[in-house]
Amino acid sequence: MLEIRGLNVSYERVQVLWDISFNIEAGEVVTLLGSNGAGKSTTVKTIQGLLKSGSGSIRFMNRSIDELPAYKIVEEGVALVPEGREIFPKMSVLENLILGAYASRARDLLKDSLEWVFNLYPKLEERKEQLAGTMSGGEQQMLAIARALMSKPKLLMLDEPSLGLAPVIVLQVFDIIKKLKEEGVTVLLVEQNIHHALEISDRAYIMEKGRIILEGKGSDLINNHYVREAYLGM
Amino acid sequence: MDIGVLIQILVWGIYAGCIYILLAIGLNLIFGVMKVVNFAHGELLMLGAYAAFWIYTFSSINPYLIVPLSMLLIAILGIFIERLCFRPIMGTGKLNEIFLSLGLIYLFQNLVAFLWSTNSRYIRSPYGEVVVHIGAIKLPLDYLIIIIVTIVFLIAFQLFMKKTTTGRAMRATSQNREAAALMGINVERMDMLSFALGSALAAAAGSLWLISGQMANPYMGAIPAIKAFAVVIIGGLGSIPGAIIAGMTLGIAENVVPYFMQALVAVFGYEMSFTGWKDTIAFLILIIVLILRPTGIFGERGE
Ligand SMILES: Nc1ncnc2c1ncn2[C@@H]1O[C@H](COP(=O)(O)OP(=O)(O)OP(=O)(O)O)[C@@H](O)[C@H]1O
Ligand SMILES: [Mg+2]
Repeated sequence: MLEIRGLNVSYERVQVLWDISFNIEAGEVVTLLGSNGAGKSTTVKTIQGLLKSGSGSIRFMNRSIDELPAYKIVEEGVALVPEGREIFPKMSVLENLILGAYASRARDLLKDSLEWVFNLYPKLEERKEQLAGTMSGGEQQMLAIARALMSKPKLLMLDEPSLGLAPVIVLQVFDIIKKLKEEGVTVLLVEQNIHHALEISDRAYIMEKGRIILEGKGSDLINNHYVREAYLGM
Repeated sequence: MDIGVLIQILVWGIYAGCIYILLAIGLNLIFGVMKVVNFAHGELLMLGAYAAFWIYTFSSINPYLIVPLSMLLIAILGIFIERLCFRPIMGTGKLNEIFLSLGLIYLFQNLVAFLWSTNSRYIRSPYGEVVVHIGAIKLPLDYLIIIIVTIVFLIAFQLFMKKTTTGRAMRATSQNREAAALMGINVERMDMLSFALGSALAAAAGSLWLISGQMANPYMGAIPAIKAFAVVIIGGLGSIPGAIIAGMTLGIAENVVPYFMQALVAVFGYEMSFTGWKDTIAFLILIIVLILRPTGIFGERGE
């Protein structure tokens, strides 16, 4: 479904991604792991078209998308829940969700999509008139995920969705990802919460200093010597 | 003091306030979406007035019908300005934006002076002689029309921003540009639209001003633009209700206060006119507000 070959990305003149290659098959949950500054956010932003790649290719559903601007990539069926949520604070929850369905392929499905995300997150329906900026961090994260789902993505990318959330809320976030997988949504998950992430993912890639250094099944990586040492402190 | 005269002056203030509000809303919109301060906004008012003047001179249709035409022309000009001037330098630093828009001021002023001379131009409103009597109060019909037209524009603008998909997308872009792009919004199209809309509102202000009997000349945009900036600052960056209240307050205060001052010195037996103090009063208000509330009356902190 997503195929990345030899991706190099720079900010100004500093190169931060080096020869990144990986792929995701339809229906998979794939996790991108790595320490701070490894280049995870840069990778998903480049896929989404928010950053331009220096070289390499990004293909989605067998179409090259690396020359497209972000808004067209949304039309293609890719959605990103960005690091730090980035909801629209001065709009109501409902307006945030309506904006999620802005893409023309999602606009006609607005009613169904609303029902779908309200089913996933009943709390959002109760709060739909509330100003998004006045919600708690956990609620804002729910909203950010729900808003991305409103575009009916074929590939959903989540950049550290559990960051800064209480343990119970973190579990909720991973539960939702599991549910989405059951509904057939393909997921690219960026996480530092390695235990939970590996548990729910089919495969994972580990990044370090802008390169992919390890790839494997979630269950295998949990027992990998390197991973245990570097990330789990064992 | 004469209550009838006072009310007339009040209406005059509301009329001036309408012009400032129309300018300030456009400035706010462009700043909100693009985070660019267009110092040449007053020149769009001036060009709108000239557009109305020339269309009127060659067609002599009812000047009020020319307002939408002038708005359309200046909106198109606004799109060109956005594409050719502001888009290429976006993200290259505030200093570039400031010098660019200051440059545009001189470009447009001198271009108009060169093409059409610095002579003052005016057109005669068909209602120029019509005065509405309400009791003892006499109000020029043109002023009433302009006040009503402004109210209609404001309501239409508010409905557009709150109720339409495109309006919502523009608000989203001004709140978080990157997140807006993630929604599938073409944010560059929103830049273009905000410039077109802001320019059209400036043109509306300019042509309405001309029709109501003000002179057009190449430099006419400067003072209203500075006042509009004051309105934006007093009302709080990005706040539409703030701009409306601040615009009205400024328009009324700068007309009513001189009248009170005149009445005051008359008590002591002097006869003096203070109408030349208009701009001083406007900026005194600005300074007082900035001291008391640096973010403006409706502004938010941290922007
Ligand atoms: N806008 C930017 N300009 C310059 N350098 C940047 C910019 N954004 C990120 N970088 C650099 O690129 C590298 C990768 O950053 P990135 O945000 O992709 O890391 P990350 O893996 O997402 O880290 P984290 O887990 O902390 O979110 C870092 O060295 C960072 O300093
Ligand atoms: Mg990151």
